[in-house]
Amino acid sequence: MASVLGVLKSPAETVGVIHSLRGAGFDDLEVFSPIPSHEIEHAFNPAPSGVRLWTLIGGLTGVTLGYLMTIWMSYDWELVIAGKPFASIPAYTVIAFELTILFGGALTVGALLVYGLLLPKQKSRGYRPSFSVGDFGCVVECQADQIPRVQELLESAGCSEVRVVEG
Amino acid sequence: MAAITDPVPTSPEDYNEGILAVLAPPSPIYVVAVLTMMGLVGAGAAALAYQTYAGMGVTGLMHPVMWGVYITTFVFWVGIAHAGTLISAILYLFRAKWRNAINRGAEAMTVFSVITAGLFPLIHIGRLWKFYFMLPYPNQRGLWTNFKSPLEWDVFAVGTYTIISILFFAVGLIPDIAAARDRITDWRRHLYGVLALGWRGTAEQWRHHSRAVLHLSGLATPLVLSVHSVVSWDFAMSLVPGWHTTIFAPYFVAGAIFSGMAMVITVLVPVRKAFSLERFIRAEHFDNMGKFIVLTSTIVGYAYAVEYFMAWYSANPYEQMSFWHRAFGDYWWATWIMITCNVIVPLPLWLKRFRLNITWMWCTSILINIGMWFERFVIITTGLSHEYDPAAWGYYTPSWVELTILVASFAHFFMWFLLFLRMFPVIAIQEVKEEQYEHAEAH
Repeated sequence: MASVLGVLKSPAETVGVIHSLRGAGFDDLEVFSPIPSHEIEHAFNPAPSGVRLWTLIGGLTGVTLGYLMTIWMSYDWELVIAGKPFASIPAYTVIAFELTILFGGALTVGALLVYGLLLPKQKSRGYRPSFSVGDFGCVVECQADQIPRVQELLESAGCSEVRVVEG
Repeated sequence: MAAITDPVPTSPEDYNEGILAVLAPPSPIYVVAVLTMMGLVGAGAAALAYQTYAGMGVTGLMHPVMWGVYITTFVFWVGIAHAGTLISAILYLFRAKWRNAINRGAEAMTVFSVITAGLFPLIHIGRLWKFYFMLPYPNQRGLWTNFKSPLEWDVFAVGTYTIISILFFAVGLIPDIAAARDRITDWRRHLYGVLALGWRGTAEQWRHHSRAVLHLSGLATPLVLSVHSVVSWDFAMSLVPGWHTTIFAPYFVAGAIFSGMAMVITVLVPVRKAFSLERFIRAEHFDNMGKFIVLTSTIVGYAYAVEYFMAWYSANPYEQMSFWHRAFGDYWWATWIMITCNVIVPLPLWLKRFRLNITWMWCTSILINIGMWFERFVIITTGLSHEYDPAAWGYYTPSWVELTILVASFAHFFMWFLLFLRMFPVIAIQEVKEEQYEHAEAH
């Protein structure tokens, strides 16, 4: 497999390149961008991020744990405080709410680390420091005999620089 | 007066170069400032060590006023933290783009102020090594913590707020740390390389990152409203005249955003000047922050008025006595500092020309900070010093130990902020660039 890099200057150009390459049957793409771009994201037509599921799981875990912990501990040693029931649900809702946020937030960040950072499927080949400044990069994985075709597509889509990536 | 048409950066390189230039080797003035703050923190640590050794008798806390400067300062710093979450989470959900230039600095303030706040319950309990009593842990007595107590709610609320604020702050920093990694050439390059966690700005990474930021914003928004509500219930759930009132939660939340926004201005004006960030933090940002101050000042002023109205309308002699004492009793000076700084001083900001005057905004913000510290002092001290029984009335005077620790808390906050300035981008590079790209494409 070979990798060809095209360098672009705007999200709109990058979206154009993605459409053009995918239209020509090149689906193994990686895009580097200095900013988040909904247009680029939608151009890949991705499945919903798995992060949202873990936010939900974290929130549900937190609220369940919040109520279970407070109620169980209240009945584990029964003390009447201020004439209230052992398990005072309105008072315990504060604890359950805070744990909902805590677990929801923690698992959101955990999921981001797993999906986006620690176990990424993205390829770093072709990355250059200018992609964190203002350049957009599109790396295409293709067979060696397809390189001229990919280069032609990238150049015709407006890439300011096109080159084969080594390594 | 600053012009609303301040020059703006024209290219992505401008953004990266201009913002990352703050990370350049420090000037002597910066070093002196950090050392001064460290010295003051050291003085506070020495005062705390003395208090821990000698006991709480070295403070001015004495019956009937058992909550004083420490709890006042705890509430003050929790309040300061709120503007960061308002700017980074709530305004994010409302798509208020102007927040982009100030949200990183405000988020950093949130983290440092909530950490500073978290020290005060420990300092206040005296035997600070007993703090773990507040945590629900299995123990040989078989007792659990009292989840019906607002003080216990506070442990969970402030603890959650601290953790979520740090996570939110760290997640937002990742792309900018990668930008710093790609530009910085000294030893910090390796540090940024580790902290960037392999960030390359791929479409996949941005997809998950954007989703995580959105969800954290959604979680942080009710959290920020809950935290100061819970702090207000430390007072409102009691039966102390002047405290036992249902308006405390919204009143405290509005006051927190008011004081937090003022602190953002207090901090960002000198930072903007010292690091030549005028192109990024522009007059329009101060204009918008000024509007927030006007709004929240009005709410706070209304809450002050409602408190007095309800004391009169309730026909409750204890409430009436408490509020009369607040305005004309032993602490009249503190009350009038509070009203002057929080209600009268912000009034000129109704006019745009004052909101665009950076010097005026900065002076106003400092007075608001003073006024908001006194608001908490007035609520706590006047409430406790004149409760039901005249035989139990008293007067509280803070000791030098408490005042040293109070000053040290400000130094602690500014020390961390100064260190942050030289280590991480103070403006969210990718967010201000995103705004520029959107603007360019719209035209």
